[in-house]
Amino acid sequence: MNNLESNNIPALVKSWIGQIVITIQHTVTVERGLWINFCASVFDSNPLYWDDAVARDHTGTVIAPPAMLPGWGSQPEWYPGKQGHSLRPMELHFLLKEAFGLPNGIVTSVELEFHEPVRAGDEVSVEQVLRDVGEPRMTRLGPGRKWTINVIYRRQDKVLLGLQTIEFLAYRRH
Amino acid sequence: MKPNLLIAEKIPELRVLITPKLVIMGAVASRDWQPLHHDHEWSVGEGGLPGIILNNYTQMGWIIRYVTDWSGPQGRVGGLRLTMHSPICPGNELVITGAVDTLEQATTDLNWAILKIELAVGSRIASTAWVKVALPASDNSPSPWHCSASDWHPGFRLNLQMSQGQEDAQ
Repeated sequence: MNNLESNNIPALVKSWIGQIVITIQHTVTVERGLWINFCASVFDSNPLYWDDAVARDHTGTVIAPPAMLPGWGSQPEWYPGKQGHSLRPMELHFLLKEAFGLPNGIVTSVELEFHEPVRAGDEVSVEQVLRDVGEPRMTRLGPGRKWTINVIYRRQDKVLLGLQTIEFLAYRRH
Repeated sequence: MKPNLLIAEKIPELRVLITPKLVIMGAVASRDWQPLHHDHEWSVGEGGLPGIILNNYTQMGWIIRYVTDWSGPQGRVGGLRLTMHSPICPGNELVITGAVDTLEQATTDLNWAILKIELAVGSRIASTAWVKVALPASDNSPSPWHCSASDWHPGFRLNLQMSQGQEDAQ
């Protein structure tokens, strides 16, 4: 853990460290038509995503590409009766950018662990935990900070689908 | 089947010309609506980037596709660590290369192969990835997809040999 006392971290942000700050419940039901678009974007012909007969021997049913796991927890940009903005894919990251006044941010490192595969009909929930916040630093892009967020993905029956660790660099341009 | 792998075995390279369409398709399909993945003017003017950039989930999609093209469908990716050093933009020819870094026996039927993979644009290494993929231990072993949840340990935590690469955005 970093030296929180000398880092000028707002009390609200300090209270988030180690806690589940954002919970997102079912936003979109997983379906093959959506994951086929992702396969097409990377020309992925793995039959586990496309071919019921091949998938039967390995996964029982066709499954979604694992790299899509985080996307199943993103709220739609619009839905009937929507008030205000949607929760963004990494809402906690955006709350931190706002808290520190750092308007720009990039992902520098991401790690995903894949557990039970995601299948059509699944509903994915997300928990975002702030793991740590780095010291202020001068980056090539401008003054900024790094922080790390852990994300837990579960199915509607609480089965673990995956774990994610993301390191962000947020900055204000020179 | 890949039961007789050797450390340092290379995976055939994959080349792809990144276009605006591929960047935007990947971002939209992964449900990532951030403007740096679809709005060139925003990326340059507000983001200070060379253009729209390939998002991390699409990079992961390319990497997993690269691995499973090599392993076949029985290859079950358990973990992926991606470090992005510099952006991948339209007009870049992306060259993906990789090799077996480490082999570990997980159960009598399942081996882990740890792969080191690089995403290069010309001489620039844009991203480095480590992939932990489960493979059958022998020709007679069941598919790793049949591994029980109690025997499935896909994280990198115990792999102390793996380095993280350096980011040059600092």
